[in-house]
Amino acid sequence: MTVKVEVIEGGIPHNKIMIAGIVSTLVCLYLTYLNVLTSTEMFSFFGGLAVIAALIWGSHTIKVLCSYGIGTGVPSAGMIAFGSGVIAMLLATKFGFYAPIVAAVLAAVIGFILGYVSNNILNMKIPAMVQSLTEMAVVGALTLMGFAALITGGFTFAGLTTGHVTVMGMTLLTHEQSFLGGCLIAVAFLLGAIAIQHPFNACLGPGWQQDRMLMLTAECGFLSMIAAAIMSFALISTGSAIISLLIAIIGWVYTYKEYMVLSKRDAAAWLDAKPIPEVEGH
Amino acid sequence: MSAVAAKPAAGGAINWTAMAVGVVMFLILMGICYYFYPTGLMPLLLIVVGGVMIGFGVHFVPVGGAPAAMGQAPGIATGVAMLAAGGGLAGLFGGAWAAAAGQDALVVVITGGIGGGLMMAITCMMVNFVYVFGMGIPAASGKVANDPITGDSQAEFKSQGTEGHGLPFVSFVGGVIGGLFAGAGGTLIYLELLEVYKAALPGVMQITAAQVLPIAISAAGMFAVGMFLVNAVLTAYNITGTIEGPHDPKFKRWPRSVVASAVASALCGLVAILIVAL
Amino acid sequence: MEHIVFGIGITALTGALATVAGAAEDTESNIGSQGDPNSQVQLAPQMGFLHRIFNKAVAGEPPAYGLWCCLGAGFAWAFMAMQFNAVLAIVLGSVLAVFVQGVYATTAYVGRTASLSKFGQPVYVDILKSMTTVTMAHAFIAIFATVTICYLINTALGHPFPLPLLGLIWGIALGAAGSATGNPYYGKERQYQNQKFGAGVPISASGNIVRYAEAGERNSLDNGWFTAKIGGSASGICFGLIVFLELWRTILFEQIAAGWGAIVVGVLIILVFTVIDRYIEVWARKNYGPYTEAKEASS
Repeated sequence: MTVKVEVIEGGIPHNKIMIAGIVSTLVCLYLTYLNVLTSTEMFSFFGGLAVIAALIWGSHTIKVLCSYGIGTGVPSAGMIAFGSGVIAMLLATKFGFYAPIVAAVLAAVIGFILGYVSNNILNMKIPAMVQSLTEMAVVGALTLMGFAALITGGFTFAGLTTGHVTVMGMTLLTHEQSFLGGCLIAVAFLLGAIAIQHPFNACLGPGWQQDRMLMLTAECGFLSMIAAAIMSFALISTGSAIISLLIAIIGWVYTYKEYMVLSKRDAAAWLDAKPIPEVEGH
Repeated sequence: MSAVAAKPAAGGAINWTAMAVGVVMFLILMGICYYFYPTGLMPLLLIVVGGVMIGFGVHFVPVGGAPAAMGQAPGIATGVAMLAAGGGLAGLFGGAWAAAAGQDALVVVITGGIGGGLMMAITCMMVNFVYVFGMGIPAASGKVANDPITGDSQAEFKSQGTEGHGLPFVSFVGGVIGGLFAGAGGTLIYLELLEVYKAALPGVMQITAAQVLPIAISAAGMFAVGMFLVNAVLTAYNITGTIEGPHDPKFKRWPRSVVASAVASALCGLVAILIVAL
Repeated sequence: MEHIVFGIGITALTGALATVAGAAEDTESNIGSQGDPNSQVQLAPQMGFLHRIFNKAVAGEPPAYGLWCCLGAGFAWAFMAMQFNAVLAIVLGSVLAVFVQGVYATTAYVGRTASLSKFGQPVYVDILKSMTTVTMAHAFIAIFATVTICYLINTALGHPFPLPLLGLIWGIALGAAGSATGNPYYGKERQYQNQKFGAGVPISASGNIVRYAEAGERNSLDNGWFTAKIGGSASGICFGLIVFLELWRTILFEQIAAGWGAIVVGVLIILVFTVIDRYIEVWARKNYGPYTEAKEASS
């Protein structure tokens, strides 16, 4: 898909979104650590909020990158972000408490090298390429970590690779029914990869508006959070999963309505069962 | 920034300085691997081979992008990265199955390649089927006067106002070769990671080899998919989204992609191997 | 022997399911104008051709179907981990995945259309209501069939990958096969019905898509009805053949000569398809003939 994309200025500057994005993502990820301190799983929902914060930042990065016309579709940018992010994220989980920070740094290094490779070796010569790929790898890694925290209640390697199965009243330790062993990480991968590119892909065009796109990102984030929260019933306690699900549903309904309001504001007309308007010359 | 005197105009030129930097980066990454986890060096080298096979193979896959859907340009009407992913992952599926059956490594990799080639052969055949029997349009290339394999003349079969349409025979063969390379490369990455994880994870996690198997398979499979996508997208950037096949002038850009894929695969592979080393 | 007969039965079943999935996938994406033909639906208002076609650009078909199928498989996996019955888990998982698909479809249509306000393209709420539900119905068939294939491959045939990873792989393959086969038929044959038959669309005609139907104004349900007859069934055959032949060669010939049997059979199948492709190409050249005389072709 090659749709012509124009550079559009205005709105909140990108650097502001980037800083706000990385700070709130890391804070939300660390708030899931309350699970360990209080030995419950009630604070898992902060993982979902981290996902949303990271996605809002990431979708704006995609907008910056794809405004240059990279020759292939917008979705591919999401794929490369998560393809590099997933590896950084899993190595970072080995570092226990420091996992989110290690993930961010490691992903930044990977993204920077990939950006250098595309810009110089592949000769793309896009000014924003190195910075954008760096940011997107970080977003990919932190989003996956957020999903991991939401679904399993933590972000340590041991937590991601072990689960519990109840057979006839007895709780057994298992590795097959875990975030990694069951490969729920694949679901998180695609949930994030589509959610990060969809807002820009869906809102591109001459009438692009920043607030509408970012609202759509939040909507995609909450929608992904609903999906992940449903899957979390398999791995964390029912009560904690219900808290995540309720927060996700409330957030989704709100952002979806807001997005529709903003779209109505920007649309040329909002018609129900009306014919094609007459345009001169056709 | 580039030291090359004659600055090329088109995006097709090769930036030698960056290529040299790429090779140095590749060697440094290999060195890091050797320093932290010497037994991981050989698997990492094979992972790089797999990644380069993906990057090189995607150049063969004839992808026309959006214009192909209107019969305005030859090739398959979809995105290059994802079409290659479709073929390559179908190959990975077959390869992983053969690996689970305990076959020899060479057999596993070739099985993966055949799986990818088979997927592309069927898809390319059906594309021509729809063009010819669904829309009444013969295949014609826009980039060459004669098909390099069959020698068929192309220009007079090109309908007015288009750059060609459908898949000439050389594009079909390119698609199959691309599927073979992509499938084999993806499988090689999976196989090497699986071996590393199967050998080292039981010690790292303090559990038995049987318990570690689902985790090793999932992690290796997920990373193979992730590295596949990274390499495929980098190649898509290299050919700026569309290519007709091995006869396309853009095909000559493959050296850039080989270096890029080698660096990217060495990087991602190193990080993936370090999971068991740290 | 019994093992092989069982395997062949499962293979046949997955092949049939894959055919259904491919056909449903292509019809769904054509009703939604997803994939490459979407560029024309997007372009038309800029050229002054306002239309009532559904324009749901979630992503290209392969990543989008990768998500829907992977999500369906992930839900099914989670429900099975909660001790649900497998059939119930797959159905529930597919339903939830379709919910996500429907939400993405609406936001994509509204967003794209609102960004075209400069050209006067209105958002049609009736399109949103009637098309989204129809695409959701088709998507359900495609997702349910694909997740079932993955479940059968995993459980009955013993593939080592867990269900969500299989969903990702076959979802992307489904989207790749469906978009490759089905897109030209929708993009050229249906969107540009007003152009000459048996020729590509001249680049100068881009954006001038057909906007009026046999009666009234064309909407995307008309497109789904049209493309289902060749584009949809061809996509179904394409994906069905891929799944069936891939499994068939493994089940029957994997044990022969330590895996080389499956490889040799795979090469033979590729050669058969190469011959068929060459036959189709030559047949078209002979029967349709050149557009211009060969001597003019020097340019």
